[in-house]
Amino acid sequence: MAIDATTRRFGNVQLRARSFAANQERIVFLITAALIVLFGIGLPGFATVDNFLNLLRSISILGILGLGMGLIVISRGIDLSEVAIMAGSWSIALIEIQQGMGAAPAIMLALCLAVVIGCINGVMVAFVEAPPLFVTLAAGFVIYGAAFWFAPAWVVYAPKESRALLFLGAGQIGGVPVPIFVFAAAATVAHLFLSRTSIGRFIYAQGDNPDAARLAGIALRPLIVFEYALVAVLAWLAGYVWVGTTGSMQMAITQGTMIFDVILVVVLGGISLVGGRGGVFSVVAGCMLIGVLLNAFTIMDVNSEVQNIIRGFVLLAAIILDNWLHPRDEETARQGD
Amino acid sequence: MTDASTMQGATPPETAREPLLRVVKGSKTYGGVHAIEDVDFDLYAGEVHALVGENGAGKSTLCKAIAGAINLSAGDFILDGRPANFEQPRDALAAGICMVYQETSLVPTMTAAQNIELGNEKLLTRFRTLNIQAQQLLQSLNFHVDPATPVGLLGAAKKQMVEIARAVYNKARIIIFDEPTATLTPEEIVHFFHLIRDLRARGVAIIYISHALEESLQIADRITVLRDGRRVITAPSSELSRASLVQHMVGREVAQALYGRREKTEHIRREKVLTVENVTMGMTVKNMSFSVYAGEVVGIAGLIGSGRTEIAKIIFGALKRNLINGGTIRLKGRPIRYRVPKQAIDDGIAYITEDRKANGFFETMIVDDNIYIGHLATKKGWRFLLSRASKSKLANYWVDRLKIGALQRKARIIELSGGNQQKVVVAKVLAQDPSVVIFDEPTRGVDVGTIPHIHAEIRRLAEEGKAVVVISSYLPEVLSVSDRILVARLGRIVAEFDAAEATQDKLLYAAIH
Repeated sequence: MAIDATTRRFGNVQLRARSFAANQERIVFLITAALIVLFGIGLPGFATVDNFLNLLRSISILGILGLGMGLIVISRGIDLSEVAIMAGSWSIALIEIQQGMGAAPAIMLALCLAVVIGCINGVMVAFVEAPPLFVTLAAGFVIYGAAFWFAPAWVVYAPKESRALLFLGAGQIGGVPVPIFVFAAAATVAHLFLSRTSIGRFIYAQGDNPDAARLAGIALRPLIVFEYALVAVLAWLAGYVWVGTTGSMQMAITQGTMIFDVILVVVLGGISLVGGRGGVFSVVAGCMLIGVLLNAFTIMDVNSEVQNIIRGFVLLAAIILDNWLHPRDEETARQGD
Repeated sequence: MTDASTMQGATPPETAREPLLRVVKGSKTYGGVHAIEDVDFDLYAGEVHALVGENGAGKSTLCKAIAGAINLSAGDFILDGRPANFEQPRDALAAGICMVYQETSLVPTMTAAQNIELGNEKLLTRFRTLNIQAQQLLQSLNFHVDPATPVGLLGAAKKQMVEIARAVYNKARIIIFDEPTATLTPEEIVHFFHLIRDLRARGVAIIYISHALEESLQIADRITVLRDGRRVITAPSSELSRASLVQHMVGREVAQALYGRREKTEHIRREKVLTVENVTMGMTVKNMSFSVYAGEVVGIAGLIGSGRTEIAKIIFGALKRNLINGGTIRLKGRPIRYRVPKQAIDDGIAYITEDRKANGFFETMIVDDNIYIGHLATKKGWRFLLSRASKSKLANYWVDRLKIGALQRKARIIELSGGNQQKVVVAKVLAQDPSVVIFDEPTRGVDVGTIPHIHAEIRRLAEEGKAVVVISSYLPEVLSVSDRILVARLGRIVAEFDAAEATQDKLLYAAIH
C-alpha cells in the first residue's frame, strides 16, 4: 500500500517534470497555433499566403540573431553586443565597398571583423574571467564608437546592383523570400550542431554546471571563445540578410531595443537564463509567437505604444513561466539528498 | 571531559511532564523520495536530545522542518500542548525555536553586535547602545568576542558563539545545533559542552545533531536514531552505547557486512605510480608527502580542513600548488603540474568529487548522457559526431557494473536517489579509463544499500591494477576498504598505518593530536 502510494506520487512528479520542464517551447507553440487560428478567423487579411510569407520573412533576422543568443544563453552566458557586431561589421564593410572594394572581399571583411570581435569577447569572458553581461555591454559601446569612427554615417547604403550582396535579403526562390530559407538553414545547422555533436553536448554541460564540466575534463576556456565566435558568425549572417532586405546598414539599431527583442524571443521559447535548457526549437517557437503578434498588430493598426506594452507583458510572462518551470530554491536544489 | 559520568546521571525528564515540542508522524518527500517518513519526535524543556543517523538519514530535514526552513509534506507539530505550524523561519523564531546551522548563517561583513540583533533591528539604532547590549549579553554567556568586530574576521568557534548569543538574544526556548563541533578544536569542544549544560540549566531544550557518537552519548540526555528517514529508537543515553547506536544506525544485519574488517588479502606492491613530495598550497596544504602504488587502495583519514580534498584537487589540476617551494608531484616518475583538470584526465588521473550536487553531475541530463559526457571529454573518447550506439553501450556497461537503478534510465539524474546519483558520478569518471582514481568521500549522502556496491567497485579497481586513493572522514569506511591508511592533520600527513594494524582509536588519535 505504502509502496503503491510512493510510486504513484513519484510517477506524478515525473509526469509533471516531463510534460513541462523540457517543453516551454511546446506551450509557446500551442499558444502561437491558437493565435493563428484566432487571427485567421477574426482578422481579414491575416490568413493569406502572402501574409504568412511576409510574417516569416519579418522574423528571419530576429530568428538568426536569436539562434546566436540562444546558443550563448544555453552555455550560461549572454551577448549584449550581438546587434552591435552585426551593425558595426557591416557598416565598415559597406563603407569599404563605397570606397572601391569588391563585394566578395567586403563580405569576408565583415565576417572577419565579426569573428575577431567575438573572439575578443570570448577571451575576456574565458581568460580574464569578467562577467559576460558587462564584457558584452562594454563591447557594444566600443563597437558603436569604433564603427562610427571608421564609417561616420548613420546609414551606409549598399550598391544596388550587387546581386551577391543583396540576394540573401532581397532575393526570392519560387516566390518564397530567401531570408526564410536562410533562417531555416541556419536553424537546421544549429540544431544538428547542438544536438548531434560533442561540442554541442559540451555547451549544454557547461550551461548546466560549469564546475562539473571543468572537472569532467572539458576544456572550458577554448569552448567559451568558440561560443562567442559562433554568436558573432550568426550576427554576421543576420547582417547579411539585413543588408539585402533594407539595402543599407543603420548604426542606429545598436542604440535601439533590438537586442532586447532578441533576448525576448530566446527566453520566451524556453531557453532558461539558468543555462543548459532549451534548444533551437525554443528560438523558433519564440520567434513565431512574436512574429504572429506583431503581424496581427500591424494589420489591426495597433499603435506602437500598445505594441510595446504587450511585448513587455509577454516577456514578463515568459520569465515567470521560466521561474515556475525551473525553480531554484533550496528545496528543489536538495532533491535526492 | 571529567564530568562525563555526572552527565550520564543527569535526571532524565519524567515522562509525566508535557513535552515542550512534539512532532507527530512527520513526513517530507523530495521528488517522490522520502527524506523522512512518519517520524515521531518529542522534546522536553531542559533536556539535550541528540539526533544521530547516517548521512541522508533525515536528521537535517527533521530539524529544518522544526525550524520552519522547510515545510513538512505531512505531519503535525504540537508546541506547549497546542498544535502549531511553522510556515517560515520567522514563525519558528517567534515560537522561540532557533537553529544554529552547519554553514553559519551570519552576515560576514556585519559586526558581531549587528549580527546578534539581525532581524530585530529597531528603526534607529545607536551603535554605542548596540555594542554595549551585545557586550553585556556576550559577557553573561562568558564569551570572549568583541562585539564591534566584523564576523568575517572571527574564527569558526567565535562565529558559533555569536550564533548562540543570537539564539539567546532571541529568547530561544529550543536551540537546534547542526554538527556544532565539526569545526571546533578539542579545547573549544570542552568549552562548548560547558555552554550547552549552561543553557540546559536555564531550561532551554536543545536538539543536538552530530556524527560523533561519543559526543552525543556524553552530552545528551536522550538519543533518537534515524535510519533512512524513519525513527529507529528513542532512548535515554545511559541505556545506549556506541556499539548499539551503530547497530541502530545501519541496521543489525548490514552493520557487520558493511564495516566489518576486510580479511587481509595478500597484496603485492607493484610500481610506484603517484608521488607527492612536500606539496604546499597556501595555509591549507603544508609539505604534504605520500606515494601511491598500483594495485592498492590508500585511505586518507583526517578531520575536515586537514587538507585532504585540497591535495586531491591539486593532483587533479583543479587547484594549483604554490609556484615557489610548492613541492613536486610525480606521475610514474615524471613531474606534473596541471593547470586544468583536462590535462590530468588525459594523463589518466581521475577525481570523484565529494560534492556531487555542486560539481559532480549535469542535472538536466539523463543517466546515459551523464556517463557519455565523461567519455567524450577524454582524448580517446572524443569524436565530433555523437553516436547513440556507443553511448548506450557505454551506459549499459556501467549501469550493469555499478548496479545503477536501471528502471530510471530515462529520468533526469536529479530525480534519482542519492546513491544512484553517486554511482552515476562514479561511472562518469571511470568511463574515462583512468589509471589513478581518487575518491573523495565516496559514500557521503548515499543510502546504506548502495555503500557495498561502491566499496566493491573501489576494491575491484585496485584488483584491476589501478592506484586508488580514498579520502573519507568516516573511519570505519577507511578501515574497511584500504590496504594502507594515511592520516592527515593541518595540511600534513602525520601517520601511516597498514590496514591490518590500524584501529579507529589509533587513527583518531593521530588525526587530533
